[in-house]
Amino acid sequence: MKKLLYILTVVLCFTQGWAQSAFEEGNTLYTDGKYSEAAKKYESVLENKQESAEVYFNLANAYYKMNRVAPAIYNYEKALLLKPNYKDATINLGYAQKMAIDDIQAVPEVGFSKMVYNFTGAYHYDAWAWGAVVGAILFLLLFVGYYFAGTTTLKRVFFVGMFMTLLGIIVAILSAVFVKSEGAKERPAIVYEEVVSVKSEPRDTAPDAFILHEGSKVYVTETLGNYKKIELADETEGWIEKDAIKELK
Amino acid sequence: MKKYIVLLVLFCLQGISAQVTFTATPSRTKVGVNERLRVEFKMSADGDNFVPPSFRGFKAAGPSQTISNSWGTNRKRTFTKTYTYVLTPTIKGVFTVGQASIEVEGKTYKTTPFKITVGRAVAKPNDPAAALAQNAGKDIHVVAEVSKSNPYINEPISVVYKLYVGQNESLRGTRQVDVPQFSDFWNQDIKIPNSTVRQVTYKGESYRAIELKKVVLYPQKSGKLEIGPLSLELTIDVPTGRRDYFGRPVMGQTTKVKTSGSRIINVKPLPENGKPEDFSGAVGDFSFQAKPSKTTLSNGESLQLTVKVSGKGNLKLFNLPKPVVPSALEMYDPEHNEDVATPLSGMKGSITDVYAIIPQNKGKYPIKPMSFTYFNPKTGNYNTITSEEIMVDVLDVPDNASANADTTTSGTQKQAVKTTEQFRFVSLKTNLRSVNRKDFFGSTLFYILLLVPFLLIPVIMLLKKQKQARDNDVAGNKIRKNNKLAKKYLSEAKKHLGDKEPFYVALEKALHNFLKAKLSIETSEMEKENIQELLSARNATPETITDFIKIMDSCEFARYAPSSGEAMQQDYDNAVSIITALEKQI
Repeated sequence: MKKLLYILTVVLCFTQGWAQSAFEEGNTLYTDGKYSEAAKKYESVLENKQESAEVYFNLANAYYKMNRVAPAIYNYEKALLLKPNYKDATINLGYAQKMAIDDIQAVPEVGFSKMVYNFTGAYHYDAWAWGAVVGAILFLLLFVGYYFAGTTTLKRVFFVGMFMTLLGIIVAILSAVFVKSEGAKERPAIVYEEVVSVKSEPRDTAPDAFILHEGSKVYVTETLGNYKKIELADETEGWIEKDAIKELK
Repeated sequence: MKKYIVLLVLFCLQGISAQVTFTATPSRTKVGVNERLRVEFKMSADGDNFVPPSFRGFKAAGPSQTISNSWGTNRKRTFTKTYTYVLTPTIKGVFTVGQASIEVEGKTYKTTPFKITVGRAVAKPNDPAAALAQNAGKDIHVVAEVSKSNPYINEPISVVYKLYVGQNESLRGTRQVDVPQFSDFWNQDIKIPNSTVRQVTYKGESYRAIELKKVVLYPQKSGKLEIGPLSLELTIDVPTGRRDYFGRPVMGQTTKVKTSGSRIINVKPLPENGKPEDFSGAVGDFSFQAKPSKTTLSNGESLQLTVKVSGKGNLKLFNLPKPVVPSALEMYDPEHNEDVATPLSGMKGSITDVYAIIPQNKGKYPIKPMSFTYFNPKTGNYNTITSEEIMVDVLDVPDNASANADTTTSGTQKQAVKTTEQFRFVSLKTNLRSVNRKDFFGSTLFYILLLVPFLLIPVIMLLKKQKQARDNDVAGNKIRKNNKLAKKYLSEAKKHLGDKEPFYVALEKALHNFLKAKLSIETSEMEKENIQELLSARNATPETITDFIKIMDSCEFARYAPSSGEAMQQDYDNAVSIITALEKQI
């Protein structure tokens, strides 16, 4: 049993080390301007079931340099899913989106809901969860301080600290729940087909509702046979052939 | 005298009444069906309300009216009014021409009916002039020459209307009476600069020919389409059959209408099989290109994209493909140019759309490949030409809007810091994780880590409570302290085993402290009797008590008497066993 665990650990370390070196080789190739080779290296990291926001970001950069809109946008979005506040990815995604043909105007969120989305959306739900754990430990320390403090003033300070930390924990957990449930509800996808007509009904003979180009972001709401129902950021709806898009999750 | 006047009046009246005659006279009563006859209705007075009979079996032309007044030698006035009809038989048979009537001074006069026999057609019609007129223009033809009778939709065909004049005919003039209509066709007239008469052979005979009208047609729908006729009214010289003084034939003129007749062409639809979706109706043979004026733009330069189709075909009849550009590029409506010449073989030349494209932001923008599809009627296939994708690289754009705003508001010429973000380089560091790792949020570990600090709170409180309780218990504390000291000195004694002085001091201290802890007494009460009493009061066995006293004594003695290491070992072992025994018994 112990031996097996040992072997497993060694293998895991080996793949991780290998993937790490592939990532670095990819970076070297990218710096030399060999974008397609670099992209292959990054892809090999992903094929070995290893991932990180940076791998997706670098891969997307390579695709952007190769003028391939859809894979570039797809991987930027992927990086942002893992690391929502990844500033470099946000900036480069903007560049990639300019290459895309369609200009979909998002219906803006306003007021309180916008605030909630902006605040909670800044971090991945796992990050929120770790925040809650850290908060819990801080709470314990503050409690100890409060419990053993000598003077009343000190006790008060610790008590207020405890109260604030508790509030923080609740907010972190609620945010994690919110982000996770919102994320589970949302099924974003990227259009891979160069030009695809979105139908008003899930039939081949149905009339075209509108036309989408490569790189547009859509949200899948339903699946029926060969078609997926999609919604755009501007709240228009239609049915698209399922092979024309690639889902992010 | 009176009698004379009456007589005269009577005479006159009688004369008038006697003189009104109204007769119908056919020129002949037997005619061939291809001949004509003339019928004259003649009256000797100026009558009104002439009612002609019905000319059943004939086609009547007329009436033409003539009035003649003449005075005879006896100065007698003769008045004649004649209505003349020309009758053309329609079928064979015997027909009766009925009564015609007329009113003269209130009286109605009628003619006598007469019969006309229409026989079979005669070889030579009776009217030589008419015959000549009919023959006239026999050798003159108006012909529409169509280049192709089964074209595809939008395939050009040409129609040339020609006038052929035989060598024996002499034509004075022409007038177009019916201009051809080309519905369902897109048509373009070709100007005929100077119509020259040429000698041609038509149907094996020599003719003089002239082109009347040339037109290029593009059928706009499939099926049988009619090309309208061109009709000409011709003025032709005809011989009258008479000769003049010098023996030359005297020529008269007659007009004739000649028509080319309408032509039916069968237009084939474009094959549905293999028809590309983006087909916009171009038929012919074309080349296609999309060319940008430049691909690298800086400082707000604009870009001109030229989309051009050149070749032969229905150039004016289809739309050029529209380029698809990212929404971040501003594309204006195109400027359309046509450079098309139309000879008889159809339009040829080029059409271009020039788009002005102005970038709004820096970055790379692809202009998608454009495809142009046309149908080639020669091969009967659809061809698609696809242009290459154009990548426009915008290096920078002047942010003049914001700069202007800055200078006007602040008044100072400050260089605004460019806020546009640069394209970011790849990240060089990363922490790779397994793709299939479990979420931390919601995992058991998460709940444990989250709840453990809270569970620790009561534990801490409990521990503190216990400590406090212990701190408050003074006697207990003393006992615990002495116990601890006893153990401490016992271990110290063990350390000094063999070294007489410190060993026995430590051993004695250990025993004292043991007693202090067990019996709760002070050092001052350490009398042997007292100890014996207390120990026995606590159910210790007498042997143990004596042993204990013995050890204490030996400790006291040993200080002053020499002692061997063996004795020390024995004393130590005894002390340990007694303490253990007492521990149990008390």
